[in-house]
Amino acid sequence: MSSLDADFMHDVANTPRGRGILTCIQCGRCTSSCSVARVVEDHNPRKLMEMIILGLRREVLHGPLPWYCLSCFTCLDRCPQNGDVGETMFAIRNLAVKEGNTPRAIVDQAQNLFGTGRVVVPTRMALIQRERYGMGKEPAVDVEAVQKILRKTSFDKLIYR
Amino acid sequence: MKYAFFLGCLIPAREPNYESSVRKVSSELGIELVEMKGANCCAPFSIQSLDYVTWLALAARNLTLAEEMGLDILTLCNDCYESLLMTNTILKNDKELREKVNGILADLRLEFKGKIDVKGFIDVLYDDVGLEKVKNSIKEPFDGLKAALQPGCHLTKPKRIHFGEWMGIRALDELAEATGAKSIAYERKEACCGGPLRGINDEIASQVAKQKLDSIKGSGADCIVTVCPFCYVELDMGQLEIKRRSKEEYNLPVLHFAELLRMAMGMKLENWEIRTHRVPITKILNMKEAK
Repeated sequence: MSSLDADFMHDVANTPRGRGILTCIQCGRCTSSCSVARVVEDHNPRKLMEMIILGLRREVLHGPLPWYCLSCFTCLDRCPQNGDVGETMFAIRNLAVKEGNTPRAIVDQAQNLFGTGRVVVPTRMALIQRERYGMGKEPAVDVEAVQKILRKTSFDKLIYR
Repeated sequence: MKYAFFLGCLIPAREPNYESSVRKVSSELGIELVEMKGANCCAPFSIQSLDYVTWLALAARNLTLAEEMGLDILTLCNDCYESLLMTNTILKNDKELREKVNGILADLRLEFKGKIDVKGFIDVLYDDVGLEKVKNSIKEPFDGLKAALQPGCHLTKPKRIHFGEWMGIRALDELAEATGAKSIAYERKEACCGGPLRGINDEIASQVAKQKLDSIKGSGADCIVTVCPFCYVELDMGQLEIKRRSKEEYNLPVLHFAELLRMAMGMKLENWEIRTHRVPITKILNMKEAK
């Protein structure tokens, strides 16, 4: 049987955006309003909240569970407790990332951000079209300012390891 | 009406045709768009998933640039809208976080003061320009084109930072119907397009998009009209992806809301803009010509 970690719920609650876990009454409105839960059996926000309350730290943070949510915030608007399930998902992802559980696509976007100040790198075609059709050169990003912020928050250490 | 124009990453990188239509429509309606020099990524879902304070600091830097310009922000992307609006709301209300973020921004000689608002393109059209003025600008209305409006999640959610879900969607419906189109009802209109999972889990992203496309197809719509550039990619290019995966074909043309409005205002799309659409929009253009 999995080990139960009584501190886990409080670790989630003390992570920014994770406060809502403390007010969850397991009603399941989040699951019934979830677009992903309709098509993926593994994704069940109510059950995920239950797993956090029970203290199943490994099961929550080390598998794919943090990465099914679309952050559409439908559950957040539906929660009768203002429990912010969609917000709590961000807390879970922030904790999962610290354990090294980060999908490649997220790392790619973050590295784009560090290198160019943007998460999406323009195609050559888009740049040509902007210039040719009167919208001018690609708007310049102050990459140095972005990197200063990212170093100060140690974000670079999260994405280059 | 003058705004700090926050372009974000995706639009200049992939959808210059969205920007060009917004610029044309704005200039007709007296909306002045001022470039935000040096602005960075808004810090969307992917970055927020990595680190909380990094998100707030990156978004706050953009907000302070607009504060220095003395202008409210106008953004075209629902993801940028969510990130900037939420950060603005949080930092205006939470002194401790504001001080923390300002500590980071101090190195850049910037300070978040909380002096401006963040608006989406639809808010600006509805609240600042006004429905009447939009109606009066219509020179070549559509003749009952059946449009499935796709508001996108963060146009209206979470409701605590907006006016409320149905208010925002109604505003969009009214603006769309001002063009002579008919906003048709369909199930799961308020639901997500699936886009945020693109790249993380393509299979699920497609399944979520499919729920939406099935419902739209069943409603008898002539086309889909999107507000958000992510919804646009997911529902336009996404149809090709679904066809590749499951052989299912929808052939639903997808227009940016700004394109719909522009055409109704009597400004034709140029060939290069028409050609950026993955699902051909000729059917819609022909309906308009035939009138």
